[in-house]
Amino acid sequence: MMPFTAILWHDLRMLWSSWLVRLWLIATALLAMIQIMSNWERFQTAPLIAVLLLPYIVFPWSLVVMMLSVNPLSGSRSGVAADGILSRPVTRYAYLLAAWTARVTLVLSVFLVVTVPTIAIVALAERPAPADEVTFYGVAASLAVVGLVLTFLVSVGFLLGTLFRNTLLAIVVLVFLWFPVNLVLNVFSLEEFSPISLTQALPTLLRQPWDETEVAEPEPDVDAAFRDALSFFSSLGGNSNPEPKPEERSFFERGDYEDFSLRRVLLGYGIPTIVSVALATLCFCLRDV
Amino acid sequence: MPLAIRTERLTKIYASRLVAVNDLSLEVPQGAIFGLLGPNGAGKTTTVRLLLGLHRPSAGYAEVMGRRCGVNRVSVRKLIGYLPTNPKLPGHLRPIEYLDLLGQLYGLPKHVRKPRLASLLRAVGLLGATNQPIHTFSTGMNTRLGIAASLIGDPPILIWDEPTAGLDPAARRFTLDLIRELGRTRTIVVATHILSDIDQVCSHVGVMHEGRMIFSGSMRDMQQRLKRNVFRLDLVGSGEDLERLAEQVNAMAGIEATVGTGDTLSLQLADRVNRANALSEVLMLVATSNLTLQNVHSGRNETEDVYLQLLQEDEAHGFQRFTFETDSRDDAVHGDSLA
Repeated sequence: MMPFTAILWHDLRMLWSSWLVRLWLIATALLAMIQIMSNWERFQTAPLIAVLLLPYIVFPWSLVVMMLSVNPLSGSRSGVAADGILSRPVTRYAYLLAAWTARVTLVLSVFLVVTVPTIAIVALAERPAPADEVTFYGVAASLAVVGLVLTFLVSVGFLLGTLFRNTLLAIVVLVFLWFPVNLVLNVFSLEEFSPISLTQALPTLLRQPWDETEVAEPEPDVDAAFRDALSFFSSLGGNSNPEPKPEERSFFERGDYEDFSLRRVLLGYGIPTIVSVALATLCFCLRDV
Repeated sequence: MPLAIRTERLTKIYASRLVAVNDLSLEVPQGAIFGLLGPNGAGKTTTVRLLLGLHRPSAGYAEVMGRRCGVNRVSVRKLIGYLPTNPKLPGHLRPIEYLDLLGQLYGLPKHVRKPRLASLLRAVGLLGATNQPIHTFSTGMNTRLGIAASLIGDPPILIWDEPTAGLDPAARRFTLDLIRELGRTRTIVVATHILSDIDQVCSHVGVMHEGRMIFSGSMRDMQQRLKRNVFRLDLVGSGEDLERLAEQVNAMAGIEATVGTGDTLSLQLADRVNRANALSEVLMLVATSNLTLQNVHSGRNETEDVYLQLLQEDEAHGFQRFTFETDSRDDAVHGDSLA
């Protein structure tokens, strides 16, 4: 256990002392302040909290998380790890898990250090905006969902950092996987897992009381999934979408996510996170450093 | 003699494109200072990284103190103190932080770790630099910290890869003295292409060429391989006298003399010639000439000559170097067979 904790503390110290993390922390605090001040009177509590959480799972902070997650196993860090640490009595599992834990801890710390106080201000302060029924459970569940998405991003970044030794290439691939993911998930009627859909579902979750969490899950609609797939492929072929355009609604008030299932989201991001870490460990143990 | 390190038909092929280590069988006795010698690209560093489990072998295996090497073999790496070539160390850390981290990786409790790292920093002369981050260190300071890092776990085997690369003469002298000192209680493998380092400190030597071991044995065995048929006389006198002496020597059977730069006369003796008799006759001629003899050399650098000779022989063997299913140790020249 001693090697694991030693590497964990070493990585945490290294990350906290990096300029990227310091700038990120300052920038998140500044952006949160700007978001609160500019929407203080406009938004209800739930949409305003969703606005605060949006940069973490959509843009730009997701990009910072990607940059932090790929570097321990790629680029010049790989040489330092080999000469400085991996040639000593430590297993690759211990090194990888410690480096992963350090990054997850750091990302979640930065996320919580900024969002928890700002959410508290938004939820507890008396504002001229219309009243809203945000619950404590809803806030905790929303933070957990965003935290899980960030953990997933770090894990996928780890996997790509192991597969591609070039840091820049790993980041580019991760960007091209993460940002168009909405489109792909839409095809398979898994839209609720996409970053944008999750953000849109946050107001619903924020208003959810503890005793209404067990919402019955709808039966999977195979025909709808098939129609969506057909629609996707026909759009690739250049055909226009025959369905009528829906009525324009606010970004956070679409109302499509009344059946939002926390359990499905936990499984939908939790399982790929575990698989990514397992695959990264396997790849790291099979490769030369 | 028990073995500290043993490899059996160890092979490393990178991405099916580059053969870095080719069917290598190596034996390093316990307590030896073993020089792993070879030109750049011979496979020395790859062999070391295979021993440490940083690389996975394509075939064959390696053992350290009877334990099989591998990627997650912590017990093997605990036995080895490794100094990489121009070590890339975590630049943001300070020496104490780095050595403390390594001490924790070795599982040393605080009451052992802290005094040991302090005495190591003193021993390698870095006490005055403990407040500097490692990225501000010179090459010599980096190497000295790497040396301290290799000793923090007090391992019985040290593997130092090019320990004198990029060092100034004083730092080089310090490193070689340290190898000699540590060699009294430990097995040390020094991978290098600097022959004078091997000459000064090693008791055993292995010569690698194109990923293969072409010689393995003691230093004495290696030097005995030298064909000692070339001598050089350092003389003082006029150029005319030197030319005249060369003509007289060339008149003798089985000796070829050439005048070199800086008043030297090189003598090449034929194999059939008795060297003692031939040399005594030449020295008689020198005594009767107007020249003054200053020195007699039996070669420029014995180890260098043997090393070059071994590489030439290996190149000359051509396709004969190929073997089917035989022990690759049969191909390598062994010092034991010369005794």
